[in-house]
Amino acid sequence: MDLLEYQAKELFRRVGIPVLPAQRIDSPADLKGLKISYPVVLKSQVRVGGRAKAGGVRFVNNTIDAVAAAQTIFGLPILGEYPQAILAETKYDVQRELYLAIILDCGLRRPVLWGSAQGGGQVEADPERLQKVVVDQDFSPFCARHLGAKIDLQGPLLPAVSEIIVKMYRLFVQWDLDFLEINPLGVDTRGALMALDGKVRLNDYALGRHPELRSLVGEQSLEGGCPRSLPLGGNLAILANGTGLTWATLDQVMALGEVPRCYASLGDGEQTGTLGRTLARSLDQVRMVGGVKVVLVNLCGEVGSWNELGAYLEQYLQQVPPPPPLVIRWGGGDLATAWQALASLPVRLTASLEEAVEQAIALAKD
Amino acid sequence: MKFSLKGKVIIQGIMEPLGQWAARQMQAYGTPLVAGISPGHGSSFLGGVPVFDLVEEIATLGEQVDTSVIFSPPYEVLDAGLEAIAMGIRHLVIVTPRVPPLDMVSLVRRAEATETLVLGPNSPGLVIPGQTLLGIHPPSLYQRGFTGLVSSAVSLTYEVALTLTGAGLGQSLVVGIGGDSIPGSTISQWLQILDEDEDTGVIVVVGQVEDRWEEHLADHIAATIYKPVVVYLAGHLVRGGNISYPPASPMPASTYPWQPSDPQQRLTQLGQSGVLVANCLQDIPHLVRQAAPGLLGE
Repeated sequence: MDLLEYQAKELFRRVGIPVLPAQRIDSPADLKGLKISYPVVLKSQVRVGGRAKAGGVRFVNNTIDAVAAAQTIFGLPILGEYPQAILAETKYDVQRELYLAIILDCGLRRPVLWGSAQGGGQVEADPERLQKVVVDQDFSPFCARHLGAKIDLQGPLLPAVSEIIVKMYRLFVQWDLDFLEINPLGVDTRGALMALDGKVRLNDYALGRHPELRSLVGEQSLEGGCPRSLPLGGNLAILANGTGLTWATLDQVMALGEVPRCYASLGDGEQTGTLGRTLARSLDQVRMVGGVKVVLVNLCGEVGSWNELGAYLEQYLQQVPPPPPLVIRWGGGDLATAWQALASLPVRLTASLEEAVEQAIALAKD
Repeated sequence: MKFSLKGKVIIQGIMEPLGQWAARQMQAYGTPLVAGISPGHGSSFLGGVPVFDLVEEIATLGEQVDTSVIFSPPYEVLDAGLEAIAMGIRHLVIVTPRVPPLDMVSLVRRAEATETLVLGPNSPGLVIPGQTLLGIHPPSLYQRGFTGLVSSAVSLTYEVALTLTGAGLGQSLVVGIGGDSIPGSTISQWLQILDEDEDTGVIVVVGQVEDRWEEHLADHIAATIYKPVVVYLAGHLVRGGNISYPPASPMPASTYPWQPSDPQQRLTQLGQSGVLVANCLQDIPHLVRQAAPGLLGE
């Protein structure tokens, strides 16, 4: 989960990474009570990039201009995302811009420090300048100095930037981050440093042990089973118990030239014992997607109690108007127990994946 | 990294619901399970298996334990792994899903320093058909044979085993490395193990499009793996799916660990390295047969 800029800067402030005096604006009227002095920069708080180019960053010199600019920004979607807030920040005269980031590299299975002597938009234009230091064993400030030297920092700038990296690493470990970026890190004429923009990606698995972060980002559902739509628009929905199996079922259908409308993984039910509930929720969501003529449910391995699944399916099938019919496939189990539990229900049940796929495609074409 | 299962097995987190279930499955399969660990449940028994508070206490059994299967809750997995390593256990199978990645970084560092083989997290475990079950694989799907199977999926691993068994192709060793972002051991490491395994004739690798596969897997196979390799990448036929993207940032996309590279490109590279690429599940047994005509007399 990604933090917004003002949330990221709140974390920076706590460990002493310098940030500008700033104030969160929830509506244009808030600008009348602005506590920081003009000139001010107003920044759209969205998670996507390219907001400056899209007009989401504006400089203003007084309240009248600020209110007008804020109204424009609130009404301006950036790559489809409307801002929930604006960050009003003191204007800063930058002499030089650097790039700093820490990424958890899943290939190396280590955190990696990244830096470039040219920050801001230059990083994208000139990615060859990016330098990295892999934190192979325990982190120590020398790793930060090593990166500083690699991006040719000299004199007092080297220890000053290294200190920022040390504080970034502290945040990275303390809050279980996947990704932490300061771009640009501004350097002014006196050599003082300022984190002008920041990105922070939290790790979803670790959120449970950081209640403070959860309150910062607001409670969001962490449950799976939400269907994803394909923009191609068939009329077959696919649900399977596991991500890999869901992808494989999509392949089975697409290899026969059929295009599914939407798909969702029901998670690995046997590990949570909640397959029935997840299935019921996903079936409801599939109904809301609309345009689905048949649902293919592909299950493999342990699925828990068929009586429990049957009860959920009965509830689903009793709805009015009648929901899309189900083709259920269960591989790797004793099909007789499933038959027994589902005997009274109008569902198709088979152990063969190929058969289930053929049946579902035929029903979708009806 | 050496892999040999000679000693006895314990379960950490045996009193967790899944741990209890797996203990029965593993015992029934003949896995030499000698103890369970569950802090607060010491001095009890589960299905005849003694339960201890500490790994240290298994010393009283006088058994040589070399494997621990871990079902502890996600935020206790790192501690459980460190405790097992401290007590000299050199094979860890982590079934627990959703372990924080930075905990895995710490565990991987310790495991490398002690030459410990870690499987998982979010792994269904390992099965040697007819011999040993470590984890939660449904044993009835497997049959003894010459195909080694390494997978990053859970239920899809069962599906592929079912497809192979259904086609009359048994398995030598089936291992799920786990689908989480920081695996304790990688596809490459298990390819190496299967390449050296005397009972394995052909290796099947199963992944999915959202995996962060090792960048140099194709080169690695071409340079160091001698046995034939069949790869199936689930979801590779899907176009326009909503695969997760990195936050907006000027970093080049290739440096993002969570940005999967283009599946078609990966498959082309693998194909060029001599790997047989399966289009869908039913292709897998055909390609295994094609790869190993001499092994079919089993």
